[in-house]
Amino acid sequence: MPVTRREFIRYAMVGAAAFAGGAVASRAAPWGRPTQYGAKRRLAITEAMVQMVDRSFVYHWAFEDLDNVPSAPQMPGPLLQAEEGEEMQISVTNNLPGPHGFRILGAPGEVGAGIVIPPGETREIDFEAPAGGSYMYFDHLNAPVNRVLGLHGPVIVLPARGNTPYGDPSPSVQKLFDDLGTTAHFPGEPWKAERTRIWVLNTIDPRFHEMARNGRDITASQLRDELLPRYFTINGEAGAYASHNHHTTPSGRIGQPFVIRIMNAGLADDSLHIHGNHVYLLARTDEEGNRRVEANPLFIDTFRAEAGTLMDWLLPMRRPPDIPGDERVPLRELIARELSLTLGGVPQSPIEYPMHDHNEVSQSAAGGNYPQGMVTHWEITGDIDGVDFPQSDLDEKGGRNEEYERGEGGHA
Amino acid sequence: MTIRDVPLRPVGREEFPRFNKHVCPPTFGGGPLDPVTPTRRIASNLLVNIDLDVPGLGKVPMWILEDPEDQQGGRVFPSKTIRTVEGDIVHARVGAKSNTHTIHWHGIEPSPMNDGVGKHSFEISGNFTYQFATNQAGTFIYHCHKNTALHFEMGLYGAFIVDLKKPDTAEAAGTPDPPYPPGGPGFVRGFNPPTHVIHYDVEALWVPDDIDTRWHELGHNASMQKCDPDDPTAARNFTGDGILNDFRQDVFVLTGEAKRPDDDTPFQKAAVHARVGQTILVRFIDAAYSVQEIRVGLPLTLVSVDGFTLGVGPTGQYNRPIEFAAGQPIRITAAMRGDAIIRPTRPGRFPVTIDFLHWISGKKLYTATTFIDITE
Repeated sequence: MPVTRREFIRYAMVGAAAFAGGAVASRAAPWGRPTQYGAKRRLAITEAMVQMVDRSFVYHWAFEDLDNVPSAPQMPGPLLQAEEGEEMQISVTNNLPGPHGFRILGAPGEVGAGIVIPPGETREIDFEAPAGGSYMYFDHLNAPVNRVLGLHGPVIVLPARGNTPYGDPSPSVQKLFDDLGTTAHFPGEPWKAERTRIWVLNTIDPRFHEMARNGRDITASQLRDELLPRYFTINGEAGAYASHNHHTTPSGRIGQPFVIRIMNAGLADDSLHIHGNHVYLLARTDEEGNRRVEANPLFIDTFRAEAGTLMDWLLPMRRPPDIPGDERVPLRELIARELSLTLGGVPQSPIEYPMHDHNEVSQSAAGGNYPQGMVTHWEITGDIDGVDFPQSDLDEKGGRNEEYERGEGGHA
Repeated sequence: MTIRDVPLRPVGREEFPRFNKHVCPPTFGGGPLDPVTPTRRIASNLLVNIDLDVPGLGKVPMWILEDPEDQQGGRVFPSKTIRTVEGDIVHARVGAKSNTHTIHWHGIEPSPMNDGVGKHSFEISGNFTYQFATNQAGTFIYHCHKNTALHFEMGLYGAFIVDLKKPDTAEAAGTPDPPYPPGGPGFVRGFNPPTHVIHYDVEALWVPDDIDTRWHELGHNASMQKCDPDDPTAARNFTGDGILNDFRQDVFVLTGEAKRPDDDTPFQKAAVHARVGQTILVRFIDAAYSVQEIRVGLPLTLVSVDGFTLGVGPTGQYNRPIEFAAGQPIRITAAMRGDAIIRPTRPGRFPVTIDFLHWISGKKLYTATTFIDITE
C-alpha cells in the first residue's frame, strides 16, 4: 500500500517527538520521520510533569510512544495515521496503578466503543482504518475526566482515493475541493495532504491534576461543575509558544490551501476565531462519536468548538479579500510599505494573522498574562505567482510602548 | 517510578523579539501606510467611561468607543454601530485618547497592520488611520484587541454593518440610500434568485452579553505580563494573581440593556415591532463569555453567517440558507454572527428567549426574554 502521502503531516506536541532521532533540536525543526508513521504502533499510558507557559509544571496522565527513541511522554499523545482500509495494529500498555481506556472517537467497532486496560496490562488492538477523516483517541473511562487530564491524541485517516480528506465527502465538500486551484475564486493549487495542521485543544486546572497525582477520585460532575482552567492549550502549548511553532501554524503562499483538524479534548466550549481569511466548516464529530462531513459547509470566521468534539476547517489561503487596491497587482507591490516595516523587532514580512478562542477568558494563563492562552497564528509568505514577499527593512520603525514599560497592572 | 518532565522547548535569543512582542507590542501612529483613495471616512476614539444602569443593582462602569463626530448619540453601549456600503474603501481614523489601543474589524480581512492586533502589528499611541475595504455586505463587529479578555468585556465593541448597495428596481425607488437607517428599511443579500436581494422593512439587532462586575473594578492593564525583552519567557515576568480566567456572570445584557440574574422581565430595547406581511431582518452578534441558545417563536431563515451570504456568490455556492422552525435553537458562542429573515403571517406576540449557558458546566445561568410584536 502506498504510504507516501502521509509522511509529511506536521503535528506539534510537547515531549519526545520533538527530539526524535536523538537530536536536541529546536522544536521548529521537522521531526516527521516516515518510520514514525506506521499503522503499527506501541503506546503506553503513563504520567508526566508537563511544563506550562509560565514555566510551572503540572502533573498529567500522558501517552507515550514506545517506538520513539528515547521513549518519553508526550502532550497531546502521538499522532496515529493510516490510510483508509489499512490494518491498524495498536498496542496500549497501562503503566498507571488504575484501569484506563482507549477509544477512538468516531470509529466503528470495538475500538470506537472503547477498550479497558487493567493496570500493568497490555492490549493489542487490531482494526481496519475507518473512512478517511479526523478522529481522536482518548481514555474514555470516567469521561471526561481521564481525557481532560491528558490522555488524548489525534488520529488521521487519509482516504484511499480522491482529492478531499474524506472517504465519504458530501457533494458540497467534493465540489469545494474540486474547485481549489481550478476556479477564478480559488486560484492557485489544489489541496495536498501535507498541507494539514492539527489543533488539539485542552483546558487545564492544576487542582484536579494534583488530585489525580494524589490518587484521589474525581467525578465527572465535579469536574464539569468546578473546573476553573488556569491554562488553555493548543497542542500542549499556549500563547507565544503555540504561535511560533511551525508544526501548529499553517504557512504558505496565496493559493496553497490548508486543512485544519481541530480536536477539543478539553472541557470548555471554545469559540475559535480566525483573522485574515474565512474558513469552510468541513466536518464535525460530536461527543458521542457521530461523525459527519458537512452537507452544507458554512463559510465562517468564528465557530464553536464544543468540548469533546472535533471539527475540520478548510483555510483557503485566499488573498485577504479586504485589502483595497487593484486585485491584479501582487501584494508585494500593493502593500510594499507595510511589508518593508519592522515593528517591535519583528519584520512585517511575511504577513501573519492570529487564530484564537474568542471566549477571551481562554486567552489568559495563570489568571492573566494576555495573550498566553489558546492562540496561534497562520502566515502568508508570498503571492500567488510563486514569488515570496521581500524581506522587511530591519531598521525598527515602531515606538516603545511606555505604558507596558511602566508596568501598570499586575506588576504595579 | 520517577515522574518524567515534559519541558517547553528552549527559546533561543534570536526568538526573543517575537516572544516579547507577543505580550508587549510596540506603538505606531499615522497611516494609512499604502494609501488608496477612500470612498468613506469614519472615526472612533477610545476609550470613554460611561455607566451602565442595572435596575435594582446600580451602575456598572463601562468603557466604550465613541464616535467623536456625533455629539448626540456618539457615546452609547454597545459602542455606536458603524455602517458602510459594500465595495467601500474605508479610512478609519482611530484616536487613542488615553493609553494604547487597537481596533480589530472582526470578520473584515485587511492586511495585518490594518487588522488591529498588537502582537501582529502595533498598538496605537495617538492616532492611526486604518485602511480596509468592506467587500461583503453583512454583519460584523469592531472591538479593541488589547488585553482583550478585559477590554472586550468592558464594552469596547460595537456592531459593524456593511450595507448592500440599493438595487435599481421599482421597489427600491424612494427608499433611503445606504448606509441604511438603523431599524430599517433596507436591503440585504440573500439566496433569492435571480437578484439575490431581499428588501427588509424592519431591522433588529440582538447582542447578548454578560458581565462580571468584579472585572469592572480592574485597571486597564490588569494582570498583564511584564515586558522583559532580554528574557521574555522568564517565570518572574508572569503575574499569577489575576482573575481573568474566572468569569462569574452577575449581570446579563441584551443589546445594551442590562438586568440582574433574578430579573426575568422582558428586554424592551431588543423587542421587534412589525406588521403582517412585512419582512424582518434580525442581526445577531454574540458578545458574551458563555454559550447562547436563541429561540424565536416564529420560523426564520438564516441567510448569512459571519458576514457571508449563504448560497450566493462564488464562495457561497457550497452552502444554502438554513431554515429554523419556531422554537428551534440557534446555538452561538462569542463573536459568532448571523442574519435571519422572518416573514410574519399572522398577528400576535411571539416570544424570543436567549439562554445563557456556562461555557464549561453547560448550566443555564439566565434566560433573557424579549418578543416580536406583530400587528395587522
